[in-house]
This record gives sequence, C-alpha cells and structure tokens, in this order.
Amino acid sequence: MKMPGMTIKHASAMPAPTWSWLKMNNVKIEIPDGLERNCQVEIDAGDALDNAASFEGSVASLQERMDAARAEAPADGRAMIDAATGADRGAEKLDVPALSAYEHRAVRSEIACDIASDFETGVGTDIRAYLNFLAGGTAVLAAEEDEDAEAAIRVTTRAGEASGASVDIVAAPRSTFSVTLSLDSSADAPSFMGSTMRVFADRGARVDITVYLTASDAVTCVEDSGFVLAEDARVTVRHVVLGGAFTATGLSADLRGDRSRIDVDTSYLASGAQQRDFNYVIRHRGRKTVSNMDANGVLTGISKKCLRGTIDLVHGAKGAEGNERETVLLASRGVDNKTIPNILCDEDDVAGNHGATIGHVRPEQLFYAACRGLSQEQTEALFLSAKLEDAALRAPDEAVRANVVRLGNQIIPHFEEEIA
Amino acid sequence: MAKNRTEVADIDRSLYDFSYGEEGFERLDAGLTPDIVTEISQRKNEPRWMLDLRLKSLEIYHRMPNPTWGPGIEGLDMDNIVTYVKPNTEQKNDWDSVPDDIKDTFERLGIPEAERSYLAGVGAQYDSELVYHNMQDTAAKMGIVYSGIEEALHEPKWEAIIREKFMTLIPPTDHKFAALHGAVWSGGSFVYVPKGVKLDFPLQSYFRLNAKGAGQFEHTLIVVEDDADLHFIEGCSAPKYNVANLHAGAVELFVGKRAHLRYSTIENWSKNMYNLNTKRARCEEEGEIEWISGSFGSHVGYLYPMSVLAGRKSRSNFTGITFAGTGQNLDTGCKVVLGAPDTTATVETKSISKGGGISTFRSSIVATPAAEGAAASVSCQSLMLDDISRSDTIPAMDIRAKNVDIGHEATIGRIGDDKIFYLMSRGISEEEARTMIVNGFANPVSKELPLEYAVEMNNLIKLEMEGAIG
Repeated sequence: MKMPGMTIKHASAMPAPTWSWLKMNNVKIEIPDGLERNCQVEIDAGDALDNAASFEGSVASLQERMDAARAEAPADGRAMIDAATGADRGAEKLDVPALSAYEHRAVRSEIACDIASDFETGVGTDIRAYLNFLAGGTAVLAAEEDEDAEAAIRVTTRAGEASGASVDIVAAPRSTFSVTLSLDSSADAPSFMGSTMRVFADRGARVDITVYLTASDAVTCVEDSGFVLAEDARVTVRHVVLGGAFTATGLSADLRGDRSRIDVDTSYLASGAQQRDFNYVIRHRGRKTVSNMDANGVLTGISKKCLRGTIDLVHGAKGAEGNERETVLLASRGVDNKTIPNILCDEDDVAGNHGATIGHVRPEQLFYAACRGLSQEQTEALFLSAKLEDAALRAPDEAVRANVVRLGNQIIPHFEEEIA
Repeated sequence: MAKNRTEVADIDRSLYDFSYGEEGFERLDAGLTPDIVTEISQRKNEPRWMLDLRLKSLEIYHRMPNPTWGPGIEGLDMDNIVTYVKPNTEQKNDWDSVPDDIKDTFERLGIPEAERSYLAGVGAQYDSELVYHNMQDTAAKMGIVYSGIEEALHEPKWEAIIREKFMTLIPPTDHKFAALHGAVWSGGSFVYVPKGVKLDFPLQSYFRLNAKGAGQFEHTLIVVEDDADLHFIEGCSAPKYNVANLHAGAVELFVGKRAHLRYSTIENWSKNMYNLNTKRARCEEEGEIEWISGSFGSHVGYLYPMSVLAGRKSRSNFTGITFAGTGQNLDTGCKVVLGAPDTTATVETKSISKGGGISTFRSSIVATPAAEGAAASVSCQSLMLDDISRSDTIPAMDIRAKNVDIGHEATIGRIGDDKIFYLMSRGISEEEARTMIVNGFANPVSKELPLEYAVEMNNLIKLEMEGAIG
C-alpha cells in the first residue's frame, strides 16, 4: 500500500537554538509521496543477535549506580537551580539569572538525572518513530562481558519504496563490538531509507561503528543514532556520507560514566544539487570524559550542507574535554555551506575547543597543479576523487567498497580504473 | 588542600548607583498604545512620515513574537514600562544652564571633564531627552554636524538625509524590539561627517536612564561620507531599582567609500536593566567599521552589532568583552554580512562569567554569493572564574561564495594549572601569576579603548586574589 508523503519538521534540532533567520536550528525532512513500505535490511551478526539483552535494562543498571553516587553528593545551591525551579521573578530577584528556554531544560535535566528521560537520538523522536514503523521491530545485538563481537547491517531500498532499520546495540562490560552499517541504494526514482540505532556501552566496553552512505541521487536517507556510555567506555564512530539526494545524519551521545570517551570522524561529499545535514550532540556528564568530533568535507555543484555540532559540558563534568573541528572545501561557485559549532559550558574545570576552516583550493595548491598541466577545475576534481578514493580504500568490506566504486563512477568518469 | 581560585570582584557600582527625584518631569502613562505613540510624536512636532513610521512600527511590535532563543524576558512587562519621561529642561549647549541635579549626575560620571580634556563634542541624554549637546568650534568649522537627531529632523537639509536613512538598516520588521524602538524612539544623536573630513578627536554621547520603571529608546544615526574618518564613543549607565527598566536603543551607521568609523561602547547598565539594543553599520567600497564593545551591566542583555559589508574591499573589525556576574544573563556577540568581493572581517571576543552569571557569545558570519575572495576570522575565548556560572558559545557561519577563507576558533575553560605552574617556575608568585593571566585575557580589548574608558574597564574588572572555592 502506498503511503502519503510526510514532512518531519524540526528534525535534528540543536539543543541551544540561535537566530531563526539563519535557518540552521533544525532541518525539515520530506518523505516522498506514494512510497511503499518494504523493509530491506540484512543483519549479519552471528551470535551477537540476542534478544535477551536489553538497552533499557542496561540503562536502568547504570541509573542505579548513578543514583547511589548522587545520594552522597552535597546539595546544590546555585542560582541557576533557583531560576529553573521557581518562577522567573525578573528584576524583582536580581541574583537569579533570567534563563533562556534551553538553559531551563538543561538545569531541569541536571536536577532529574534520569538517563532514560535524557536519552535522545541525533535526528530526533519523530524520525525515530517513523523508522521504527518501517522496520517493524528492533533487532538487539549484544556483546557478552569480556567477549568480542562483530556485526554488519545492510539497509537498502528500491525505487518507490521506503525501508528502515531499527537496531539496539548493547556492549557488556569490557566487551568489544565492531559494527558496520551500510546504507546503499541505486534506486532511480524517489525512495527513502534509513536506520535508527541505540547504543549502550557498559563499563570499559569498546564500540566501533562505521557507517557508509552510498545512495543514488533519487534517495532520501536518514541515519539516526543515540549513545549512552558508562564508566570507561569508549566509542568511535566513522560516518562516510557520499551519496543521496538528501541525507540527515544525527548522533547524540550521553557520556554519563566517568572517563568515557567518544571520537566521531565524519567524511562527506556533496555534488550536484545534493543536500547534507549533520547534527552532533555530545553531552559530557561524567568526570574526565573526552569527546573529539572531526568533520572533513567537499562540496561541489550547487550542493548544500549544514553541520550542527554541540559539545555540552554539563555541571559536574569536572576534568572533561570536548574538541570539535571541521574543514570544508568549497569546490564550486553556488555551494551553500552552513556550520555551527557550539560549546555549552556549565562547569569551569573543563576544556572546550572548536575550530572551523572553510575555504577553497589554495593558490599555492592551484599553482602546483598548474605546473603539472592541471586546470583549476581538474584540480578541484582531484579533491573529489581523493575523497572517494579514501572512502574506497578504507571501506570495511568488499560489498561496501563496491558501493563506493559504483557511486564514484557516476561522479567521476573512469573512477574504477583510477583506483584499480 | 583547597586550591586558591581567581575571583573577579563584583563591580563597584557606587559611582553609577545614585538617582535624583523627578520633580517637574513629565511622564507618559505606562504601556504601549497608539495614543501614547502619537503623543510622543506630537510633543516633538515631527513630520507626518515619522508618525506614520511610529504607528506602523507599533503594529509590527504587537504582531511579532518574543525571541525564543535568548535569555528569558518574562520579567519585562511592557504594560509597566513608561516609554517617555521628559526631564525638567530643554536641550542646552553649556553646562551652566543644565539643571543642578542633572548636571551633578553627569559631573559624577566625568562627562564634562572628558569633554574638556579630549573630546571634540558631547551629547548627554537624561531619560528620554537630550539635555546637553555641544561641539567644539574646530569640528564645526570642518563642516561636521553633531546634534540631537530631533533637532536635525527640523532642519530641511538634514531631514532629507534622515528620512532617506532612518530605520533602513534596522527596519521595524527586523525583530520585536526594533519595532518597539521604531514606535517610541526618543532622543539620540545625528552625526554627519562631510567627504574627506577626518576628525582627530572623538565625539561622545552619554545616556543616563534615571527614571524608575522607564525605558530609554535613543536613536543614533551617523553618516561618514567618502574618505572621512570619525571615532564615536557611547557610554550608558543607570541607577539600580527593584523593578525592570528597559533600554532598546538603535544605532545606524553609514560608512562611505574609503571612510573609517570607530564606534566604541561601554554598556554599564544597572542590574535591573533589560538591554535589548540594536546596532548596525553599512560599509561602502573600501570603507571600514571598527566596533569596540564592552558589556558589563544589565540583568538581561541582547547585543550583537552587525556589519553589512556592501562595498568591495570593505572591512569590519569587532573587538568585544562581556562580563557576566551574579544575576546576569548577557547574550552578546556580533553579525557580519560579507556582501561584496574581497571583503574582510575579524571578530575577537572575550567573555568572563562568575558568581552564577551567564555569558553567551553568539555570532553569524554570512558570505553571500557576491563575496568572492572574502575572508573572515572569528576568535572567541571564554573564561569561567567559578563552578557556579555558565558560558556558552554559539557561532554560526553561512558561506555561499567561492574563493573565500573563513576561520573560526573558540575555547572555553578556567585558568589552566599548567599556566600557573609555568609562571611560578619562573619565580612569580601564584597570586601574581593569576593576576597576569586574567589581565592578559582582557588586555586585547582594553588596549583598544580610549584611556579613560580603559581605566574605567580596569576598575570594573578588579581582581581579588583570595578565596578557596573548590
């Protein structure tokens, strides 16, 4: 049965909004009209496919530990607590700052200290509900305590269809879990695919996630994830976004446990009239937590990209460090690049750093290439080719590599021969 | 063992925190109605177009929503704000003629002394009206016009310029408080610097809001013609009351080809003030705007001077410092539109938060498709002086041009132990080391201020090297 089209508004919303005229606070996701629901998801996980494990149960267990630690914490008399719990009395109580809406939310979340309530995914609840509907159920993948596990998830869609995956990943204490997610489609008519993922990394667990998005120009694609990290957990995420007419990538991570760490490495390419949207929210709640976000992209044609990156250093996250960096190469006239790297800081014993470099091929690079007979256009095409080559060389398996090559051949003539 | 922590003492506001009665003053009713707006216009005997603009602005104000992204303004009830308070005097051009209590106010703030020592002209506004305006003969002979904007509005020659430019950079539709300003603006300055004229000494306007529960809505309009040069200084203060006061001024700056304008401000309102001010400059070819901005006072602050670089090779430099102490939520920053080829912008800001205060740096850099070859760099640093305060950084960049070079960097944190250790290993005491680091943090801003303002800022940031928090 064909489904009516749908618009999901305010998706991938950043926690602290800015001026609405910039149109950067969130994104609107258009689900094409007339698609048929057809879930095409392959999960190759061997013994890791385990419905006995539970994301909610793991969160509850962590909550118990957090509650026990909180019971011993001294009372908090900060003015911001007064401001968030009492009515705003404006100038009549001048020692209480007039909080913004997001500051209210932040303080209330801190007071409640409820991991389940705080849980969020990067693109948001509406798209998660839609993807859960498409998937028709959630697969639970688990790594046992002190064990290693691997999983490969492949999501695809066909022309005129909508396909989605919903996966929970639970890594028990000191386990190692390596997950590859491929979102690929060569559909030549409007279609949709996506995945939503919840990840719980327990004490000392290590989770590595690699996501490749290699859809054709007719596909709308969403990759949505949310992470909870317990003490000493470590997560690395690699997002490689190379195709798709419109893509929304969202990641939200709750570094709840002390000394937990997440590293997010994003590589993207947009050509033609493609649109890329990224929303990263890393909330440091545990002490000595670390996050690194590194994004690197190339925009050509009349493509558009918006990257929202938020490092939230929550009160109590003493010794935390968050770093964020983006480098964008604008390879054509007509591209539109939006970047908003936010740091929210409610704790002084922390370090937050962010930087962004947005530019074109530098004159000395052009000169070097010109000396070897390359025009500016050819030089810029080299950067495109380099991005695709890197993705192909670092592909986690042959199937994903083949997807990259197929996409590369559509963008760059004889790409396959170049990398052979 | 508890570590010593740097603490910045609360600002000594005794210099600013005094007030006089309002005997003989005229107050309109609180609230916002077409009748009040019309009465303000009639009292000023304005041309019809201005009344029309006011009434249209009022309509826009009523239909626009409050901002939802910034500090809470629920404590600001416009039904309780008096939008017009006229002091018991007309505008004077010699201090002796100004009523004693008003004169005493400005003398305590050092305005006449500053005028004598280094200024080319001074305007002083008390509540809703200018009470003093004067410019040195040398500046007048150069053809510079520096007067009250309402006074200029009654001169046919200047009325034409004002009508052409008034609220075009900041249209009433820009945001709710721009619309409010358009409806009830009163007082402010008009400056015209003719082509090729360079003024060596600054002009200054000082705004004092004395009336309890009132708003101040001055409008500053400056036109610096081609190849001209001006430094304009703006200062503001108010006594502290236990009810909300409002400042919603507007500053519109027009910088001609190859012209240069430096606009320096120390916003030092009292802690019951909602400071919702709007400032904007437009630069033509090779024109340059420099903003020097210090934000200290206010309960709530929304302040983002904006540069529209419309001419090729025009430039904008923004240097700002924000200090948010107890009970303050100051949301400050800047906006830049790179709207022509080879335009350049630099933004350097510092913020300090302490005592439960909240400081937010918010900015936007927009490069339009016309801005080929443009470059911008943004640097913002935030220093947290205790663990009960908050500091956020929200910088947006929207780049639509090719061959641009945009850089952004930001850091947030407290004074690093490694820095203290480094200095101590070279024989400097811990206390001195901390003082050096905090002074060094604020120095890039204070060195850009005129001497008297730098001294005032240093007084505002007085370091106290004791305490054992955390």
